[in-house]
Amino acid sequence: MSGRPLPIPDEQSQPFWTASAKHVLTLPRCSNCQKFSFPPDIVCPQCHTLEPAFEFQPVASGGKVRTWTVIRQSFLSGFETPFVLVDVELDAQAGLRMIGQLLDGPSAPLKVGDRVEVAFEDLAPGTSVPGFKLVKSS
Amino acid sequence: MSGQFRARNQVAIVGYAQSQVVRRSDELLGITAIKTALDAIKDAGLTPGQIDGFLSSSLLPTSGDHRSRDGYSVVSSDWLAPRLGASPRYIAGFQGKGQITGSFEAATNALAAGAADYVLLHRALYNPPGKYNNNPMTSAGGDAQWVAPQGFFGALPAISMAYNEYMQRYGASREAMAHLVVEARKNGARQPWSYWAGKPITVADYMAGELINDPMSKLDCDIPVQAVGAYVLTTADRAKDLPNKPVYISGYANAYPEHSLSLHWTLDEMMRAGADIGKRLWESTGFSPADIDAPQFYDGFSPFIYFWLESLGFCPVGEAHRFVLDGGINSDDPKSFAVLSGGGAIGNGRLHGLPQLLECYLQLSGRAAERQRKASVGLMTYSAPHFGGGGVVFTNDPS
Ligand SMILES: [Zn+2]
Repeated sequence: MSGRPLPIPDEQSQPFWTASAKHVLTLPRCSNCQKFSFPPDIVCPQCHTLEPAFEFQPVASGGKVRTWTVIRQSFLSGFETPFVLVDVELDAQAGLRMIGQLLDGPSAPLKVGDRVEVAFEDLAPGTSVPGFKLVKSS
Repeated sequence: MSGQFRARNQVAIVGYAQSQVVRRSDELLGITAIKTALDAIKDAGLTPGQIDGFLSSSLLPTSGDHRSRDGYSVVSSDWLAPRLGASPRYIAGFQGKGQITGSFEAATNALAAGAADYVLLHRALYNPPGKYNNNPMTSAGGDAQWVAPQGFFGALPAISMAYNEYMQRYGASREAMAHLVVEARKNGARQPWSYWAGKPITVADYMAGELINDPMSKLDCDIPVQAVGAYVLTTADRAKDLPNKPVYISGYANAYPEHSLSLHWTLDEMMRAGADIGKRLWESTGFSPADIDAPQFYDGFSPFIYFWLESLGFCPVGEAHRFVLDGGINSDDPKSFAVLSGGGAIGNGRLHGLPQLLECYLQLSGRAAERQRKASVGLMTYSAPHFGGGGVVFTNDPS
């Protein structure tokens, strides 16, 4: 146990956390307009249907860095500082952004547009959270 | 449909009071609120019995684990009105994001509609014991489950990422921001009621500041404080008979958040919202950016000043950092666009838009004393543009 806050899955989010535990990134897709939104809302923010019936679909794990910050003081307990948060635009859908830890550590050089891939941190038995790792350009 | 504000210049501010700004106080917040409200009513040349309308927003703006209690950590109009001995016929509280602009606009609307003749608007800010934003959660349900397990929590990382996006995109330096923060602290240091009274900082102080969430240090954030501001508003015809020079409300505009990840604030989203506010602000008020000579922009986090300057059209997009570096906002230059002449939040404390409202009022009513500039049209903005951001335009010349 890391002491970090652990997600409490609910009826809607359960599939996401179940897939995360298997190190698979899934995203909620509206069954009406077929667009992803993250996190899922009560209504679809894209087509405004009242019955989005979001389904968590496995998605391509790549994306590019839009921005980042180095957290040197955290408002939450259990985190070892410093750590890096990256804001990533996912390949899965234009404009779809997700924030996660950059698991390469605080000294990895970073610039806007760098390619990353989803990677998971195991926080507790059965609980993993998605983060990102830099893709080394060959 | 015309976007012009139908009650343009029909409502005015006629009095104010601003309490001393302290880190924490032995005096209960409710007591400070009562005293400040009574001072504002007196300043307007009125008595509590004449105040028949009350407006406020009483949010305690922290992401920490703190509970609110009326009269102690928040002060609502419902709590305040009976304790002033007033017999109001209209009391309302603003609930949304954009607390000071939202409640101020609602007060204006109430007077324009005739729901009240004299309105007291107040805002009371509290600094709870313990760490302001720290949250000891060990599990995260609801919206927090999507972000907290990754370590993303509170407004500061969100603003830091948007600011970093700005810096990377436009080549902005920390030196430019140093000049902005020094300007805020310079003007706050000149306010006797400010938390930072007599305590300006230098560019070197800023550059030596320890980063909390890169690229932001403590000096880029306003400090949590306890304080109360109160304003008396009335209709233009009633304002004529009162002692202070009236400052009229010409119109206002607000933006509301786009759907996004909780606290996932992107630079583009902020800029879109600000541009939308600007467009509707000029429609509402009949003024244009060139008319504004008493600007006061919100600076709860320092980069907001860049975003407001650019999105409202006072600077080309990507240029605000250079504008600041070139002395564009220096209040000691009479020709500058002095958006922080009142010291803002960074120069005075976490007052959620009160310094912006106060400085617009003081400049336009001719009560800014040694800080007085030539001023006829003011614009205050509040919050981040996309996060309940709003702007209110004032004038001292309603003709
Ligand atoms: Zn949809």
